[in-house]
Amino acid sequence: MINVKVARYLPEQSAAPFVQEFKVPYDASTSVLDALNYIKEELDPSLSFRWSCRMAICGSCGVMANGIPKLGCKVFLRDYEQGLLLEPLAHLPVERDLIVDMDAFLKHLEAVKPYLINNETTAVKSATTHQQTPAQLGKYKQFANCINCGLCYSACPQFGLNPEFLGPAAITLAHRYNLDSRDQGKAARMPLLNTAEGPWACTFVGFCSDVCPQQVDPAAAVNQSKVESAKDMLIQLFKGKL
Amino acid sequence: MKPETELKRSAEPIWWALFSAGGVCFAVFIPAAIVFLAMLLPLGVVELTYTQAQSWYFSIWGLMFTGAVVVLPLFHAGHRFRHGLHDLKVQQHTLVKVLCYGFASALSLLCLGLWCIGYFN
Repeated sequence: MINVKVARYLPEQSAAPFVQEFKVPYDASTSVLDALNYIKEELDPSLSFRWSCRMAICGSCGVMANGIPKLGCKVFLRDYEQGLLLEPLAHLPVERDLIVDMDAFLKHLEAVKPYLINNETTAVKSATTHQQTPAQLGKYKQFANCINCGLCYSACPQFGLNPEFLGPAAITLAHRYNLDSRDQGKAARMPLLNTAEGPWACTFVGFCSDVCPQQVDPAAAVNQSKVESAKDMLIQLFKGKL
Repeated sequence: MKPETELKRSAEPIWWALFSAGGVCFAVFIPAAIVFLAMLLPLGVVELTYTQAQSWYFSIWGLMFTGAVVVLPLFHAGHRFRHGLHDLKVQQHTLVKVLCYGFASALSLLCLGLWCIGYFN
């Protein structure tokens, strides 16, 4: 048995959040998500949390495990024999128990135009559409592995200080499309990346890359975006447009 | 999120470029300067007379030395202080900016001024 403490917030019952303790049986393969499901099924059906795939693909089950953002399905009770405190993801408004409001995060993702932008007529004209060499794919592939779980936003102290900061995942996504040989939308994305709320709000703490369950390395993307923004400034300066 | 027409370009690339250049200097030239000035010279491994030092420093090499060992590292340190204070939740961003880069600029100007006086005499 392991003592699992869960931060509860039930707005219809009490205005203040509280911590509830549960005893959960475990073996070597019991994940934190399994523990939450055990609590809901066997101990307290009022517990709310998000989950879906159980295999670190859907990105739904992000929680703070002893203060570190983790995917519940990817961490195991065997690693928390000293005790475990589960809390909702940091830096996002809590709706209920372990459920946070992801709206700010999703708005930031949307704002960077995360889709291929290109001149349709050229694409239509082209007989072989959207072909890419392995080298062209290699440029952005790592940054394309994001599952939008939001762990990097909970890890980022800058997002915690300033929720206007675009944040690690959104900047990584913008960078991913900017690096894609099939995309021509860089000019449309740069104005947002050139603002103080773009990569420039990052102080290279690097915790986003530590917690990323897909090894996307958002800190690298953010800092490469700083280089792109600096280059953009220089180019506009030489063009006399600054 | 602000509408796209209201997006304002940040001046940060300028400070970041100085910070980056200063970082390279910190890593490459400062250790060399410390080894030479603070270790080899006092230990008597190398010898440098006052006249030698003066004629070398007040040449174009001295200007490059000032840039690489004083000016750029000062802006690097200023940038670090500024962002460090931001991380410590100091809210007076403009004041911190003026103090950090002001201090770096003032010391840089002092050094460059001294070099100019020596070079043009």
